[in-house]
Amino acid sequence: MTKVPLTLKVNGGDYQVEVEPHRMLLDVLREELGFTGTKESCREGECGVCTVLLDNKTINSCLLPAVAARGKEITTVEAIADRHHLHPIQKAFVDCHGVQCGFCTPGFIMSTKALLEENNDPTEEEIRNYLAGNLCRCTGYNGIVDAVLQAASELRKLNKV
Amino acid sequence: MITKEKEKVVETTVVGRRLNRLDGPDKVTGKFVYGADLSAPGLLHCKVFRSTIPHGRIKRLDISKALAYPGVRTVITAEDIPSNIRYGHTLKDEIVFARDYVRYYGEAIAALAADTREIAEKALKLIDIEYEPLPVITDPEEALKPDAPLLHPDWRDYKGNPALIRYDNVCAHTSINTGDVEKAFAEADYVFEDRYTSHMVHQGYLEARAGMAHIEADGMVVITSSTQNPFGLLGNLSDILQLPTSKIRVISSGVGGGFGGKLDLGVEHFVALLARKTGRPVKYLWDREEEMKAAAPREGSVIYVKTGIMKDGTIIARQGKVILDAGAYSGDDTVIASVGAMLVRGPYNIPNLKVDSMAVYTNKANCGAYRGPSAPQTYYAIESHLDSIASKLNFDKVELRRLNALKDGDMGPTGQILDSVCMQETLTKAAEKIGMDQPRPKYTGRGLACAIWTSAGGSSCAYVQLNDDGTVVLITGGKEIGTGAMTMGVAQIVAEEMGIDITDVRLITGDTYATPYDFGAQGGRTTFNVGNAARIAAQDAKRQLFESVSEKLNVPVERLNLKNKQVYDSDNPAKNISLAEFAADRVWNGGPIIGRGSFIIQPTEYDTSTIKGGTYPVFNFPSFHTHAAEVEVDPDTGEVTVKRFVVAQDVGFAINPTGVEGQLTGGAVQGIGYALSEEIVYKDGVVLNPNMTDYKMPTIMDVPRIETIIVESPSKGGPYGAKGVGEAPIILPAAAIANAVADAIGVYIHELPITAEKVLRALKEKEEKK
Repeated sequence: MTKVPLTLKVNGGDYQVEVEPHRMLLDVLREELGFTGTKESCREGECGVCTVLLDNKTINSCLLPAVAARGKEITTVEAIADRHHLHPIQKAFVDCHGVQCGFCTPGFIMSTKALLEENNDPTEEEIRNYLAGNLCRCTGYNGIVDAVLQAASELRKLNKV
Repeated sequence: MITKEKEKVVETTVVGRRLNRLDGPDKVTGKFVYGADLSAPGLLHCKVFRSTIPHGRIKRLDISKALAYPGVRTVITAEDIPSNIRYGHTLKDEIVFARDYVRYYGEAIAALAADTREIAEKALKLIDIEYEPLPVITDPEEALKPDAPLLHPDWRDYKGNPALIRYDNVCAHTSINTGDVEKAFAEADYVFEDRYTSHMVHQGYLEARAGMAHIEADGMVVITSSTQNPFGLLGNLSDILQLPTSKIRVISSGVGGGFGGKLDLGVEHFVALLARKTGRPVKYLWDREEEMKAAAPREGSVIYVKTGIMKDGTIIARQGKVILDAGAYSGDDTVIASVGAMLVRGPYNIPNLKVDSMAVYTNKANCGAYRGPSAPQTYYAIESHLDSIASKLNFDKVELRRLNALKDGDMGPTGQILDSVCMQETLTKAAEKIGMDQPRPKYTGRGLACAIWTSAGGSSCAYVQLNDDGTVVLITGGKEIGTGAMTMGVAQIVAEEMGIDITDVRLITGDTYATPYDFGAQGGRTTFNVGNAARIAAQDAKRQLFESVSEKLNVPVERLNLKNKQVYDSDNPAKNISLAEFAADRVWNGGPIIGRGSFIIQPTEYDTSTIKGGTYPVFNFPSFHTHAAEVEVDPDTGEVTVKRFVVAQDVGFAINPTGVEGQLTGGAVQGIGYALSEEIVYKDGVVLNPNMTDYKMPTIMDVPRIETIIVESPSKGGPYGAKGVGEAPIILPAAAIANAVADAIGVYIHELPITAEKVLRALKEKEEKK
């Protein structure tokens, strides 16, 4: 099939790729651009491990053709920390044991980022509602809820400074 | 932290603390590399052509069109494998590709390697096959009937562990007999009998099975995959590839969840064969549909249980029949049948016991190990049964269990003498926490269930090397699969012994060429077994260190102590040397220090006359458990909501309480999914729901915050008194929830999962009976 030239804006940088129009953003990120922090599992929008931000909103990158991301800001887990420090969300996932095998973690971190940008002081119920599109098989979710609560609290403190 | 170990009080500074896991930063930044992330220059992609019918004769198989498709480099079938090759752990009945017959929906028939995944998928559709359908057996009780057709007419020719008892469609039959059940049933005041069924479920790891292979110039096969058990694959790979194990190297990459599902061959044999045929590196990543129809799920089962009980509540006899639906090949069910037999008595002291536990061939995916193999269904059956007896005889459900609970010095089902028993403590704490004696509103119920559980044996080895900056590397075949066993537990043990911080420990793990042997990340054994090996290795390194420092500082070895990264004279702490200073010099004077440790659990004594056909005859350093649930049942829809869930688990000693709690909460939620919503649904041998929408794993919205109670009853064999932790939390939720549902609606559901449909039907039947 004919490939189309495409510029993708990923984590603040511009990337030129040539892709088939049906190629999913997940595959282009992982296979063409090497952003393997975004994970692949069900490939049909069920598990959330491929969650990335598109103009600051969460999407399942396995369901979005890369061409549909043209002109939009794509953010992956690789852009969450600065070079030397974990982001408070990432630190919270480590501190609260919200990470076990870690395969769902990048997706959860992206969803948490979107949540906390919309709501900087979510209740446990709001957290559970917002993150229902991301499956985790290891933690039983206690550690993940605790991580989001800690991250929210840390971010509120930082934003006050 | 102060811990009682072997009746000795030990002061610790690293073990027992809530420290962060070492692989956390890599995992939260996306840097951690899993099997699914592997790549290599010139990589080819594997896809497997699988049977679309559950049972039949292959009349014609034509791969020519697929082979001719541009970008396809090779297609292999049974023709490429010597016809006498069958593999397996305890029973060699499995084949790489179906030959002449297919025995389950999803069985591998051919594999191909192509330039891209897309080409591989397209080429798969060009493989032509014609079957002659054969009668399908999907019910293990049907398969047990004398006139049932044999799924493996050649079963006698299969090589297996001589301890296995096999016949007809039964690939393993374990029986346990103690006392005289018939006599006891005759003497009992009451006898009750029930039948329970359970369903097939998937481990649900989010990283599908994945791996890659390449061949070195001398023919050495190098496989990297997300396996839980690199050494455990060598034997079967050696059979399939017809190579000595020394010509095969298996490296375990990052593992995105396993829960037992990545213990056996999944991708490794396919990529190795294709890499050898093409001379190129080949990768295989399963898709979710393959996972649901052809992985190594937990078997469905039918369980009969019969109990003789006295008026005062003393249980005097138990009989059980466990029928495991093993699927088309034995998988791990030969051993699982034996484990199931051990569980029928439960955590109670019942003197008269008769158990038959069978793994039976049917036309379904062959089943494997899934966290707590055979336990969730067996405990569901026996604990639901006991609960219903308590209801019928009007016994208090906690007191009836307490009355019969195992105590120190009691015997296990096969005569082993039990110690460190704390059944009652977990029961009391869980019952109190959930409020068993508190009033509840209509359609709200509380229930609990109790268990004894084991940890796997097998051996483990480790090296501990002192680096030139005073940090250490732990080198072991053990593997971190997410639990924290390596990156918390074992790392903490090494840090404790070496007087350093956990962050001073680096891990090199799971490589059959570069690391010493380990029996695999399975059976809740890593912290226990690798922990012991690593501790011995660290103590060996410390001994060498002290001998050398003794000479250097002119202080007798007995007076030396190691703390805070420093070796010092305990009589004169000013006389000291830092690990870093010592290690930097030692590289050039005497050579670097490396300690080694090898560990295997001492076999537990038992009465061999009590068990026949058993490949798992004792509980290794057993632990004790009570789970309690509070549920709400919607009488209009039948839907069950778990409002509260309490896990009280004996962990021996919590090396890292946070890590322990992570196992308790994670296992409990998997167990809740097993109880209520997850099921691989078969109809006439075909899987109806091979995706994650229709296979319903609990989301964060479906479950409450799991409440945990850590009970510490130290074991004599585990490091610092630890017991195996990871498996057990999954074994009781189904039982506890079934009992809570019965408490809410007055009916015991005898068939898992407890779906809204079944609850509604039970409510209606109850209404009609009135």
